[in-house]
Amino acid sequence: MIARIVLVLRLALGGVFLAAGALKVGHADVFASEIAGFQILPHPLIAPLALLLPFLELMIGAYLVLGLFTRFAAWFAAAEMALFSVAIASAVMRGISTSCGCFGPSDKATTSWPEVGRDLGLTLVSVIIAWKAPGALALDRRMESHE
Amino acid sequence: MSKAAASSPSGWLNRKTLVYITVAVVVIAVGLAIHFANTGAISNAAQTVNPDATKIKVGSTAPTFSITSNAGPFDLASVNTPVFLEVFASWCPHCQHEVPIVDALAKQYAGRVAFIGVSGSPYGIDGSSPENQADINEWVQKLNVTYPIAFDPDLKIANEYLQGGYPTIVMIDSNKVVRYVNSGELTPPELQTALNGILSSHS
Repeated sequence: MIARIVLVLRLALGGVFLAAGALKVGHADVFASEIAGFQILPHPLIAPLALLLPFLELMIGAYLVLGLFTRFAAWFAAAEMALFSVAIASAVMRGISTSCGCFGPSDKATTSWPEVGRDLGLTLVSVIIAWKAPGALALDRRMESHE
Repeated sequence: MSKAAASSPSGWLNRKTLVYITVAVVVIAVGLAIHFANTGAISNAAQTVNPDATKIKVGSTAPTFSITSNAGPFDLASVNTPVFLEVFASWCPHCQHEVPIVDALAKQYAGRVAFIGVSGSPYGIDGSSPENQADINEWVQKLNVTYPIAFDPDLKIANEYLQGGYPTIVMIDSNKVVRYVNSGELTPPELQTALNGILSSHS
């Protein structure tokens, strides 16, 4: 039963990461301006992160859906979501209303407490997956059975 | 790895190989990201925000400015109504999305609030070449902007008013006091509430 729940959570979180990554790919300039809007990271780190993060999100999303390196992927997702929560909360508390850029250029949601809540919820889902990994229909299980 | 793994249905694609592939792909991705980080639009976008641009605050006196827009000269000191100032970048997608909103507000508040959009980035509409008057003309034409738009080659206004990113919107009351500062894609209700608050305090 728990394995099936983890599978559902994995597919949902993996889907979110795949969508978030796919919508940002090819729009690094927009994403960079959104990261800059948070006024947290030093400038030299912003452009590389804007290029790299969508790719990592696609990779993590695929791993979660496939159940491959599930625990690692889920901890990475938890760390990213927790960092986003802190960044958005920090922006809200400093009165910065900027586009969060979470789902690419067409995402017009601005930094707000509901956004913080959403990311904290995704952090919780990630931690549950990492805790109970890998869940049903996972490549991790298949490989374990052959090792 | 056991012998069974080598002859498993997964064949050579076992866990260890996948770890190596993952690490290699990530290392290559990091290298490419660092390499391409310095290309025009991305690098410019990363410098959207001037961290030192915290000079103006709500309640502070608005720095004076004068500039020539496509509708004629604009001098803050000689404007008798509240002012709606938008600092934009012609390459910035958020600024493009905000244009119809500001345009509608300019029509709604015509005669009661003076609207002006001012270019605030050293880079033009393509995100890499230097901004020039032609970029601003293209911006006005492409987006059907009807409120006054000015090209500020020296970025004097952006250096005073830009905060948080493009577009930055600043509202100044008729006593030349900053009453509202915000950035990003702002919604009509939020901007209308701010404008109505300024106008009601004047009546």
